[in-house]
Amino acid sequence: MAVPLSQMFTVSKYVLTQQLKGVKRYPLVLMLEPLFRCNLACAGCGKIQYPDHVLDKHLTPEQCWAAADECGAPIVSIPGGEPLIHPRMAEIVRGLVERKKYVYVCTNAILLERKLDEYTPSKYLTFSIHMDGSRDEHDLAVCRDGVYDVATKAIKEALRRGHRVTTNSTLFDDANPERVRKFFDEMMELGVEGMMISPGYSYQKAPDQKHFLKRNKTRELFAKILGNRRRGWRFNQSPLFLEFLMGRRDYQCTPWGNPTYNVFGWQKPCYLLQEGYAKTFREMMDTTAWDQYGTGRNEKCADCMVHCGYEASAVADTFGSLSGFGRTVKITLSPNAR
Amino acid sequence: MFRPATPAELAEAVELAFDYRGDVTLVLKSGEQIVGYLFNRESTGPKPLLQMFPELGGTREVAYADVVSIAFSGEDTASGNSWETWVAKKESERKADARRSESEARARGHL
Repeated sequence: MAVPLSQMFTVSKYVLTQQLKGVKRYPLVLMLEPLFRCNLACAGCGKIQYPDHVLDKHLTPEQCWAAADECGAPIVSIPGGEPLIHPRMAEIVRGLVERKKYVYVCTNAILLERKLDEYTPSKYLTFSIHMDGSRDEHDLAVCRDGVYDVATKAIKEALRRGHRVTTNSTLFDDANPERVRKFFDEMMELGVEGMMISPGYSYQKAPDQKHFLKRNKTRELFAKILGNRRRGWRFNQSPLFLEFLMGRRDYQCTPWGNPTYNVFGWQKPCYLLQEGYAKTFREMMDTTAWDQYGTGRNEKCADCMVHCGYEASAVADTFGSLSGFGRTVKITLSPNAR
Repeated sequence: MFRPATPAELAEAVELAFDYRGDVTLVLKSGEQIVGYLFNRESTGPKPLLQMFPELGGTREVAYADVVSIAFSGEDTASGNSWETWVAKKESERKADARRSESEARARGHL
């Protein structure tokens, strides 16, 4: 099973509690960006295009914990920038684990092996390793040769020490379905707990604006990749989100599902769009014009099918109806069922 | 350098500065000059405000009404970094770029 039962139980209890309370908008995953500095410069990334003095800014552990407390989401994902560059990252993670948050440290793993001594294995802590394909595809995507080999070595060491390890992969329009399937086999052979996949999003501030997937092409690509799925593949994400990527289900975006906090504040309206910042989570929730975002509502959202907007929709579908729950169980037990 | 003549022009210039991938320089009515990254703005309400991280540190809030001019003075941090450029480069150039980026990260202690 790709997601441990305790995590499934925590998330299920949280979602059902929100629904029973009649909460219309609730966060599922806090996207915590304690810094924007990275030790790679990938052309598809829109997160690091800032002057040096901004890249040198860090959130303090206290700011990170306060954000997690205020937001209340059961899962905290720490992307960036490269989180392992932050000098107090282990302290930040410890504080979040003490709060019983399920923490995903999203790293390119270049520094992972060297930093592993600072982290204690826990069911609450997962290293989510950025892997955009097999050796050639990954090194090309991250614009540096040799990174794939460093990352796979770090994955093996983290697993050997008893850490939870997943991969996260962003697919662009040049993805070759057969190569991606081969890559999934490689990751499973490495022994990772599960994989996370998502189409790329054309960040307004990314240097590369030409290789992002359009909606129909996304569905076509993911149908080829995930159709006739091998039994051994494990995905650390909602089965219904994968169905959505394959064009078998349709959802509207849930932009408040993965709220983002970084050195600028609480980002409006979502992880991908930067329309402004609020000082508090509550202010962000209360002052964002949510109805202006999502498929068919905003041209910036037209082609987006990214996990940070649609995975929360898929989770809400699972717990929002008997048919959604039944479909989730069916797909979990038999991924190739139609 | 852009000197907005009307509140509408000023609002438009602030939006462009908000989207810009580098530092901007503001000249205020007081004569003060602020160089920094404009990361947020509140253009509605009785007193529109913008927020900046000055390059020398700290955070500044500036009323729109106090701004005389805006210059896009800093480097566009995504300029010349495109995927096409990366793929089209000769192998030797790609390797040189990768080495440069790697040595910059190493100099900062990030590798």
